[in-house]
Amino acid sequence: MRFDVSILVDYWSLLAGGAWLTLCITLVAFALGYLAGVAVALVAILPGWLPKLVTGIYIETLRNIPFIIILFVVYYGLPFSGIRLPATLVGTVALALFASAYYAEIVRGALQALPRGQFESARVVGMSPAQAMWYVVAPQVLRTLVPPSTNMTLTMMKESAVLSSITVPELTYQSLIVQGNTFAPFEVFAAVTAIYWLIAIAIAELSRQLERRVGTAQVHSILANPIAARYLSLDARRPT
Amino acid sequence: MTPPPILRVSALRKEYRGTRALNELYLDIAEGEIVALMGPSGCGKSTLLRCLTWLEQPDDGFIEVAGRPFGRVLTPGGMVRRLSRREIDALRPKIGLVFQQFNLWPHMTALENVVRPQVVVLGRSRAEATRRAEELLGLLGLADRAGRYPHALSGGQKQRVAIARALAMDPALMLFDEPTSALDPELSGEVLSVLKSLAATGMTMLVVTHEVGFAVNVADRIAFMDAGAIVEEGPARAVVSNPRTPRLRNFLELVLDKSLVSAGNTLAHSQTE
Repeated sequence: MRFDVSILVDYWSLLAGGAWLTLCITLVAFALGYLAGVAVALVAILPGWLPKLVTGIYIETLRNIPFIIILFVVYYGLPFSGIRLPATLVGTVALALFASAYYAEIVRGALQALPRGQFESARVVGMSPAQAMWYVVAPQVLRTLVPPSTNMTLTMMKESAVLSSITVPELTYQSLIVQGNTFAPFEVFAAVTAIYWLIAIAIAELSRQLERRVGTAQVHSILANPIAARYLSLDARRPT
Repeated sequence: MTPPPILRVSALRKEYRGTRALNELYLDIAEGEIVALMGPSGCGKSTLLRCLTWLEQPDDGFIEVAGRPFGRVLTPGGMVRRLSRREIDALRPKIGLVFQQFNLWPHMTALENVVRPQVVVLGRSRAEATRRAEELLGLLGLADRAGRYPHALSGGQKQRVAIARALAMDPALMLFDEPTSALDPELSGEVLSVLKSLAATGMTMLVVTHEVGFAVNVADRIAFMDAGAIVEEGPARAVVSNPRTPRLRNFLELVLDKSLVSAGNTLAHSQTE
């Protein structure tokens, strides 16, 4: 046995195509999933028991089932209702569904962690609920959302490998084909490992950029404490 | 005919799971009047302010601000109609509320905290809103702090920015919910003097406070609240020096005992006058 990467030269276009599809699926599933997640979270914080019950069932159902089962239910269940869609589309939607439950929890948690007075002080000056959300709540919540959302997006990207089981020609699927043709599993999977790693690094870097952009005035949480504020505020440091 | 009061509260009632937070509360405040609202904790002072701004919906009763019904209205047919969210929001700028915990928006500078609501709610141009904000911050002694974020301000400065934010909406009435109780004595003095100068401009104010000295010296009237209703009210000095109800007498004894140094002196002083 010899480790010979040159075997892969004939197959690089398959792997590159698979990597590109994985990236596209992740991006689309992220966008769809996040939209759905924000929507679910906004419903979840409405007053009353009904919104909480409905969103609770949505979130718990999707969180408590292995992703591969969600995928099978959607993929094999849709034809029963007379809908036939391409596997890639179905897989992306299933992935978005799966991630949306987690995104919803992340967004809901961040919204509820913000002191109520922030929303109330915006409402009291006459802002509508939507304006209060947009001008006061959202900018503050955004920076607490980035790190956990990045985690979930990375998890989701890796989970997209499961889509190979319904014949979506993404990176894992292609690597299985290449491996079948070359009988060189080690080389192939080493290459695939490197590609997944690169995609993950790219996502993490994007998130770091985003965090830097929205991460101003992060110190607020410490300074909400009056004792800490007294010692940390710029006024206190200035000699009098 | 006397002009309508700036604030008229009638038969306001609010219950939380069986406990009566507000029990048929009546209160009138005339234009330019300064009313200090006092009372033991849990008597419903904060609930009253939250109901007056419709942050909590009172179960029953009516609120009128500058002659206009707020929250719900009695129609000529004798039916009670709850105003729509839009109608309520439209009147809200007329009622300025200053919170105990300031509730400044930490992602905006002090100036922006005052400018943004004017632009968003009143539709003022940015230039006009900025001019108004700078003027107010200047009046409150914060001209050099306008560009700072709230975390770089002291408690007293934060509270003054919060006051400027409320004033920028040109309210007919200002409500203060224990504006100094999150501050140490030195900083609270700073805020109290702002309230005092605000009172001198003729602003109508309802101030929830434990500072007897402030109430006696600045307020026209003291309203003492207990168990969800106003049990005693009258001219500030008269109420403090000559309380009629035993509840108020007990309360004053406790409060004065605690702040003997700060308030007691002022009180003794005002009594000998």
